[in-house]
Amino acid sequence: MNKHLKKISPAFSRPVILVFLFMVMVIPLASSGRAGSQAVKPAYALVNCRIFPVAQPVIKKGTIVVRDGLIEAVGPTASIQIPDDAEIIEASGLTAYPGLISAHTNLFFETKEQAQPATPEDYLAAYSQPAEPKEFPWLQIIEKLKPKKQTVEAYHRTGVTTVVVAPNEGIFQGQSVVLNLNGDQINEMVLLQPWALNINFTTERGVYPSSPMGTLAFLRQKFYDTQHYSLHLQKYLQSPLFLKRPVYDPFLEALLPFVIDKKPIVFECHNLEEIKRALKLIKEFQLNAVLSGCNEAWRVSEDLKSAANIPLLVTLDFRPPTSSHYAQEGQTAKEKAEKEIYPANASHLFQEKINFSLTSFGLNESNFIKNLRLAIQVGLPADQALRSLTIEPARTLGLEKQLGSLEPGKIANLILTRGDLFDEKAQVVKVMVDGTLFTYEEKGQ
Amino acid sequence: MRKKIKKTGLLISFLILFLSSATWLLASGNLLIKNATILTVTGGVIPRGDVLVINGLIEQVGQNLTAPADVRIIDAAGKYLMPGIIDTHTHIALSGTNEGTDAVTPEVNMAEVINADDTSILTALSGGVTMVHTMHGSANVIGGTNVVLKLKWGQPSEQLVVKEAYPTLKFALGENVKQSNWPLLPGRPQRYPATRLGANALIRSELIKAKDYMAAWDRYEQLKKSENPPADLLPPRKDLRLETLAGLLRGQLIARCHAYVATEMIEFLNLSKEFGFKIGAFEHAWEAYKIADELKAAGVGISVFADSWAYKMEAAEGIAYNAAYCTKKGILVSINSDSGERIRRLFNEAGKTVKYGLTQDEALRLITINAAKQLGVDHLVGSIEAGKQADLALFSRHPMSAYTRCEMTIIEGEVYFDREALLKERAAASAKKGGLS
Repeated sequence: MNKHLKKISPAFSRPVILVFLFMVMVIPLASSGRAGSQAVKPAYALVNCRIFPVAQPVIKKGTIVVRDGLIEAVGPTASIQIPDDAEIIEASGLTAYPGLISAHTNLFFETKEQAQPATPEDYLAAYSQPAEPKEFPWLQIIEKLKPKKQTVEAYHRTGVTTVVVAPNEGIFQGQSVVLNLNGDQINEMVLLQPWALNINFTTERGVYPSSPMGTLAFLRQKFYDTQHYSLHLQKYLQSPLFLKRPVYDPFLEALLPFVIDKKPIVFECHNLEEIKRALKLIKEFQLNAVLSGCNEAWRVSEDLKSAANIPLLVTLDFRPPTSSHYAQEGQTAKEKAEKEIYPANASHLFQEKINFSLTSFGLNESNFIKNLRLAIQVGLPADQALRSLTIEPARTLGLEKQLGSLEPGKIANLILTRGDLFDEKAQVVKVMVDGTLFTYEEKGQ
Repeated sequence: MRKKIKKTGLLISFLILFLSSATWLLASGNLLIKNATILTVTGGVIPRGDVLVINGLIEQVGQNLTAPADVRIIDAAGKYLMPGIIDTHTHIALSGTNEGTDAVTPEVNMAEVINADDTSILTALSGGVTMVHTMHGSANVIGGTNVVLKLKWGQPSEQLVVKEAYPTLKFALGENVKQSNWPLLPGRPQRYPATRLGANALIRSELIKAKDYMAAWDRYEQLKKSENPPADLLPPRKDLRLETLAGLLRGQLIARCHAYVATEMIEFLNLSKEFGFKIGAFEHAWEAYKIADELKAAGVGISVFADSWAYKMEAAEGIAYNAAYCTKKGILVSINSDSGERIRRLFNEAGKTVKYGLTQDEALRLITINAAKQLGVDHLVGSIEAGKQADLALFSRHPMSAYTRCEMTIIEGEVYFDREALLKERAAASAKKGGLS
């Protein structure tokens, strides 16, 4: 900005600068008031609440001071000086936790109604259309999102304040974004854009690859092609004489940051075999990868232990995958597996000392919280569940300095609950995201 | 029909319940099977014979054998013990069959999509099957690479793979690759090739491409090794499709070719001579009887159905004598299931050939040692001999009898199917629940 100002001629400079400074200072203040939530105040003090800071032991009765969207201080009531300018929020009887992070969701997608073929002729016409591949490695999912207040509120009520929104179509699905659920203005919500490239071991329909083994060959070929493309580009840039330039390839260009520069790739693994397939590819191409889905992770715990540096985003979706023998044994056995066997995935991983985050991938918000409680019922310690939804995903996202615990300097993402967060009767009554306070009515009091 | 499905479903779920309960699954690999009629396949029949298994291998075959302490003894008096059945052509335990969007897909590898959770494994075990050659489908002229598995239910997928078996590449000819039995949809182009001529030409052109590809890599390697490699030297693009075909041309892979009619088999034999690749066997090979001399001369075996011919035009000239006749002509013949259901009664299928001229002993070879030879594992399995892996199937009567049934299936000395224990467990579960739920 200074550079810019120097160029302005001296005769005009003073008034122009003054007007400019005025605009810079006043406009954000004026626009900070948001409908449906209280305006950002310079400072808050949440007093007399029980605090789970995650990074430190539980504080039985404490104060959290928030200023300008960041945590200024956390500690027992006696040790914290409440600033004069802070708005005091009485929180006795409430418990404060860091806002939860769901590191894999498909929220806020703009959905277009697709006309279903009505007559046999329509159906035949639709079926006869040549199929198009649905591969979008360059896709920035942020461009497709329309955040809605109702969704934000529904997630707040489960305690979630931060989400990764990932694309969900094709094999090379595109690139995800990390959002703070602080409202419905997409650019203000962004924490990290893009975060990772999402790859799903699915198949195309009607075009190559249309089978699981085709998908694997396709992935490998694209990785090899990216390596070759990069090598060719490198050689060309080093000595453009006597070497023909590589033909521009948007697909491979999109893969370069991930395959060559090792930005994160998220592999969606919908069954135990897909976990093994991902591990194999990661090793083969030395990828910086994260595994998501993984509701059969306990079945491959040995493989995961020998790949300990690969973060896991474990979904709380307990439906057995169709490939699983649990799903082939008939409806009764399948339901039993969904209620008893798959919920124990996380607790098995915990016992095996495998690090993981939990996500709501594939679930709506009510199933997410229901299943989270079920996972704890069948053996996952509650403090581990909390870590798996706070500091663990923050680390995986590379945002552990900003998120994941209640510590001075971190982003003020926190929730206040009546009752223990993982208790069936617990209710989230206040949510703060980036310092913006949301208050929710308590139900059935 | 629905009732039947439900019943089968129940049976399967009990089978799973039982097999997963693991209390009876003594993970030791040590066994002594006593007093069975032993059909060794390669060494005749031993009446009232014993087989001692130590660490998954057959230690001794004979009579009046004794076992070290702690070895489980199975009394098989009145029963028949045969080598575990090997199915040379099936598609079970995979999460895909065809990469049907292209007529040429050698880059796909079935070993990468094994599904060890497929309950067809249990079905197969209940029919004495211990090993399968599970393959890419026949939708493409050049399909994918196949894999040989042992049906070790409950083990992780990688433990099922038989690494010693030949690596094979699936080819297919005739009606499936021409898509002649598919409805042609308006607006959708017909896939090349639409004729047998096209299929033949396509294989030739792909193999020529593979040769060029190999030459390009050779040139690159030579330049790289030379004293002054050019600064702009760039390796050729790695092409997984052509890599696999190069493997075939180098002899690292063996072709298994789905073919029905005599002419297309002769054409494929000619291609193999022209390009110098090996053929493991022709699959289905309904008209093999017409070209038995040519197959014998080329040393190429066949993997066929016992009967059930004429289900499509190209199978019209199939005959039930095919397997028996070709065996008599000295061709290596195996009987396959090509099905997750027929796989549990492969012994019945083999038994049918007795009607068409084979002895019981010859019929037995079709699903044991012959199959093992076709897969390159006859030094490990396929007969009951000391030193071989203890893959065994115990039958109530002679396995070639129409009245027999499989009682027990053993892989490397471990019991993976036990009919009696299964029935007991089922009765107990039923009593506990007060009936089936």
